[in-house]
Amino acid sequence: MDKFKQIIADYPFIAFIIAFGILALLPPFVLTDVYQSHLASLIFVNIIVAAGLNIVKGYCGQVTVGHVGLFAVGSYTAGTLFLYMGMGFWVTLPIAIIVTAFFGVAMGIPSFRLEGPYLALATLGGGEAIRLFIENGNFFRSTFGISDIPAPSLFGYNFDTPDRYYFISMTIMIIAVYFSFSILRSGVGRAFMSIREDPICAAAAGINVKKYKILAFILSAMFAGAAGAVYAHLPPGYIHPNNYTVIEMVTFLAMVVLGGLGHIWGGIIGAIVITIVYDLTRPLYKYQLLIFGLTIIFTILFMPKGIGGFIDRYFITKRFKAKTGAEKNVT
Amino acid sequence: MLLKTKQLSKSFGGLKAMNKVDFELPKNEIRGIIGPNGSGKSTFFNLVSGIYDTDPGSYIEFDGHDITNAPAHKIAEYGLSRTFQLLRLYQDMTVLNNVMSGYHTRIPYRFFDAVVGRKKIWDQEKIIKEEMMDLLSFVGLADYAELNASELSGGQRRLLVLARAIAMKPKLLMLDEPAAGLSPVNVDNLMKIIMQLKDKYGLTLIIIEHILKVVMDTCNTVTVFDHGQKIAEGSPQQVKDDNAVIEAYLGKKMNDEEMRKALAV
Repeated sequence: MDKFKQIIADYPFIAFIIAFGILALLPPFVLTDVYQSHLASLIFVNIIVAAGLNIVKGYCGQVTVGHVGLFAVGSYTAGTLFLYMGMGFWVTLPIAIIVTAFFGVAMGIPSFRLEGPYLALATLGGGEAIRLFIENGNFFRSTFGISDIPAPSLFGYNFDTPDRYYFISMTIMIIAVYFSFSILRSGVGRAFMSIREDPICAAAAGINVKKYKILAFILSAMFAGAAGAVYAHLPPGYIHPNNYTVIEMVTFLAMVVLGGLGHIWGGIIGAIVITIVYDLTRPLYKYQLLIFGLTIIFTILFMPKGIGGFIDRYFITKRFKAKTGAEKNVT
Repeated sequence: MLLKTKQLSKSFGGLKAMNKVDFELPKNEIRGIIGPNGSGKSTFFNLVSGIYDTDPGSYIEFDGHDITNAPAHKIAEYGLSRTFQLLRLYQDMTVLNNVMSGYHTRIPYRFFDAVVGRKKIWDQEKIIKEEMMDLLSFVGLADYAELNASELSGGQRRLLVLARAIAMKPKLLMLDEPAAGLSPVNVDNLMKIIMQLKDKYGLTLIIIEHILKVVMDTCNTVTVFDHGQKIAEGSPQQVKDDNAVIEAYLGKKMNDEEMRKALAV
């Protein structure tokens, strides 16, 4: 067992291959109908967005409320590339990621000057501007939305039903989570955290604050772009500006906050919990936003580091007590 | 000279916080900086470490590099490390992460390697972690490595800030009131650790301190600031007897006649 742990610590990607294997074998046992496969794909899309949002919001501490705009950029890049040039998923995905990265730079530049609520306002404006631009432009089919975006195919095999598309979204989710894991566990993640805690001290410690801020925005934008493309090609392949409103943004934020701001698995835990709860409470759709708002508030009040931080805390306290003797109590 | 400033000036609006200061610091020296509150000690640190931009005409040189108005992170890369009067701990990070973030300038791998998660990253990280744990045990915080920095006591925080500043293996370490708010026993303990670290890493030190005993006991040379100007410099004994210094701290020495005049009012 210890040897196995050692191997995982040296080669973390092995853990991700194992996760991939488990998730690949799961569908016949868990996903009993088409709708559940569809929901699983939605969870994976949300995980990608939330993992990206956790980089910029949770780790780097930049309050962005325009992330859903970047998600829209990813979707609509894929959508329009199909609409006008007939491109398929394997071409639109990388292009969507690159285009969204550039939008991420634009979204990140205000962070040089603004922080906290002011940055939130600026990015909120950015995100909404993107949505309104799409909604009012014939180029993007305005409020009709873009439909019939084809699902990808590989070696003649079509992933055109939800239970088949599951494998596409799942693979990309695993890769994205692996990247976020690597980034956040390395010195780059530490640099992000230092900037969140104290930018002046971070600069004095040799961290190029502007560079790392913009890097955080670019990285998280790339996640949002990938998620957007996966979402656009999700059967039946329909995207509409109404899928990218502030309400969606609040949902993404709720995921990161509930999962644990600045916790390495924060976005992932939150995305799974929130997407499932969101689906189960569909009959109560009138109260959903209220519930999410209250979830954010209560999580911040009583569990400021979210579910992930809460679990970590338990083990850290336990280990500390074991090391220094139980009579010394922390916190 | 490791650090050299010429005509170093800084004004905030009409206030001259730093006024044409020439300062030279040879290698391996322990330099104390004293002066009343508002005399420009911390401003001097902020100017040298690049937190503030200097006024035109100033010149700062560090280890052969012209660092006038260079960005703070660049100056840190040249090997200048500092602590802050208000500590500026990364409250919401673990003690270990606090120290490891101080290692940033020495990280050997490139950013791209980190994104794709190559094996050498995890090997390097392991080495960094071990080295930083050694440093933490040296200052006596190894048991607390996993706790958040906000959970430490005041004295432990001072030690953590010190460890974080040392982590980058600086050539010059500037300490802004390292012993403020500590009890006498803890002050002695802290100064002992600082001296051990100096020998271990071959540091040059600048210490701002209000506890004069610390300055007088440990520093080779003392520089005194008042109203943004350097008013005295020399060995602790010289500075102690300097009239300008006494005046700055206690007010002007009066002769009998002046005294009589002052009391007659």
